[in-house]
Amino acid sequence: MIFEILSIGLIVSACLALFLDEVVPSVSALAGTFIFISVIYALNGAIFAAVFQFAIGIGTIAVLFLSGEMLSEKPKKKTSQLTVAGIIGGGLALSLPAVLLSVSGSTGAVFSEVSLGDALWNMRGFDVVLQGLVIMTIAVGIFIVLYKKRSGGK
Amino acid sequence: MDYIILSIILLGIGVYGLLTKRHLLKIFISVELIAIAATLNFVMLAGQGLGEAFLILAFSTDTAVSAVILALLVVISKKYGTSDITEVVKMEKESEVEID
Repeated sequence: MIFEILSIGLIVSACLALFLDEVVPSVSALAGTFIFISVIYALNGAIFAAVFQFAIGIGTIAVLFLSGEMLSEKPKKKTSQLTVAGIIGGGLALSLPAVLLSVSGSTGAVFSEVSLGDALWNMRGFDVVLQGLVIMTIAVGIFIVLYKKRSGGK
Repeated sequence: MDYIILSIILLGIGVYGLLTKRHLLKIFISVELIAIAATLNFVMLAGQGLGEAFLILAFSTDTAVSAVILALLVVISKKYGTSDITEVVKMEKESEVEID
């Protein structure tokens, strides 16, 4: 059941990332896509893949927040709630085949000999995750400063 | 629950965005979605070890592509003041006509 929910979340966040007009919600939805895919990997036993995906996703999101907010022009009109609901509905409808149908006959689960504790503590995966979090924090801080400067605040 | 179908759906969303969206940031997001679809296949179908080795290779390629697209975004935004590819092409054609 958890994999079905994660798959639906993955598709819906991917649709939101692509079809929302404003930069910040769009990039936030892409961050959701990265988090969902990392959790899917982790729950399937591919811990290294999850950690790498998470770290690279965080870096990409940090750069996208900065470059997107600084370089992109603002959309002329704000996306209405009806449009957002439509995108979410479309994403839900798109994710139904992945949940209900099966072509391969296997669940695609990967068996890992490395436990999460080993991957995080003994193989230095934890350092990579913390580096990602530090970079993300710096990026969010710079984004807030730039946003305040743009809107005229101190 | 089938990860092949999930991967195909993600690939479809990415290709649709690549073909229809004209903003460079959206093109970048489309490329990321296509990369996620590919890496999902690597991890789920190639098994542990080999799949994760492919994944690291795919990540390095994906990061290089991301860097190129972001560099393009910065250069085009600074030069033309917009990130819309259609407008950039139009401006480029107009400048060519003026030179002729």
